[in-house]
Amino acid sequence: MDLNDLKGIIESLIFVADSPITIDELKNIVDGANRKEIEGALEELVAELNSLNRSFCIEKVANGFQLRTKETYANWIRKYLNTKPARLTRPALETLAVIAYKQPVTRTEIESIRGVDSGGVIKTLLERKLIKIMGKLEVPGRPLVYGTTRDFLELFGFKDIKDLPTLKDYEDLAKELMDKKINGIENMELDPENNSMIGAESKTEKDEKMDEKNNSKEAKNGSN
Amino acid sequence: MTGEYRVRLEIFEGPIDLLLYLIRKNHFEIFDIPISTITEQYLQYLDLMKNLNLDIAGEFLKMAASLMEIKSKTLLPVEEEKSEETADPRSELVQRLLEYQRFKDAAERLSEKSQLGWHTFTRKGAPAGSEPSEEVIEVSIFELLDAFKKILEKFPSEMVQEISRDKITVAQKIDEVVEKLKNSDRLRFMDLFQDAGQLQEIIATFLALLELIRLKLLKVVQLEEFGTIWLYSTEKIKGADIVKEGALNGSQ
Repeated sequence: MDLNDLKGIIESLIFVADSPITIDELKNIVDGANRKEIEGALEELVAELNSLNRSFCIEKVANGFQLRTKETYANWIRKYLNTKPARLTRPALETLAVIAYKQPVTRTEIESIRGVDSGGVIKTLLERKLIKIMGKLEVPGRPLVYGTTRDFLELFGFKDIKDLPTLKDYEDLAKELMDKKINGIENMELDPENNSMIGAESKTEKDEKMDEKNNSKEAKNGSN
Repeated sequence: MTGEYRVRLEIFEGPIDLLLYLIRKNHFEIFDIPISTITEQYLQYLDLMKNLNLDIAGEFLKMAASLMEIKSKTLLPVEEEKSEETADPRSELVQRLLEYQRFKDAAERLSEKSQLGWHTFTRKGAPAGSEPSEEVIEVSIFELLDAFKKILEKFPSEMVQEISRDKITVAQKIDEVVEKLKNSDRLRFMDLFQDAGQLQEIIATFLALLELIRLKLLKVVQLEEFGTIWLYSTEKIKGADIVKEGALNGSQ
């Protein structure tokens, strides 16, 4: 099969697919090409799209390939879709992290790490299809074990479960605890509803940060 | 005081989080935590929560018990010869703290990742998972309690025995805070308490704040750790009726 034909077919399939399309799926459909040819065509396709500098690109997520928009355009798309922030709460993210790294894992194990009841959060994660019940553990009581789903990989854009960053070791964590100044809060959008604020007024945000510093000093002196 | 009004805390963090917060705040070395100081501070927070009529989850009390157990163990004289074999009574706790911190860190890194339905989109538009769900609380409850403690400390102590005049209710305060946030998009945490005349009023305001957070009507945000705490109104706050309804349900 001609390489250009193959690229066109693959591109059209990725375009219509509802979820990341895998090489196996592509191979089943494009019967005139072998795995190696498909992989080669995909590689070229990705490179071509990137060189065109379009608003979207083909990304490898959840063991498959998917067309995704670039982050630069997120504000506009959100405005169009009128979506609410679907961001996970801290407890939900924590529980999800425990499950992702420890799977298959029981609720008891999750709770012993987190130190709090996690039933409600597990339920929410199940409802959002980010985790699933993988079965029962063959021990007394036969507790359920949980694991992450394909949706989880898609949500965070992981290629596969091995793509998760490695956990930090205790020594590094201890060091960080000693001199950690800023946490992830800075990276969060403060006002997701008001798109113009995030884009257009980034300068004033910085200025405000300076104010924050002064204010916190004041607060410490008790003059606030 | 605010009587039967109770605020549930289950959406907030647990005892391990509180300990880690105290360690960071005091710049303690995690492998050498001054156990009696941290126990004392931990119990202070528990007292504060109790005084505010917050439902304290059993896990907090369990942790208090194990802290005191460790403390008592460290007070026991250690025989010279045995001392090397005997494990530090704190080591199990340290292990737990670090194991938890490990996943907390992993969770933080997850949240920093570009997320589908927020940073990036597929042709489908919004993915199935992006129905409205819970909002993030950017500032931890401990940070809030800490700020609240500072306000209480500034308050003249002789005013604690207050003859109750007009009773200030939490519901009233909720209305007030909502009104304030309607007029300006954000408020400084400290400013909420500026013109409070009675201790009762301060407490009612704080409880109102917790209730509004629980109802996701406002967000509490800090731009740097231990910095100024800001309150932001969420979209929901514009419907004041929801506020009252929600507040009533929440108080049951």
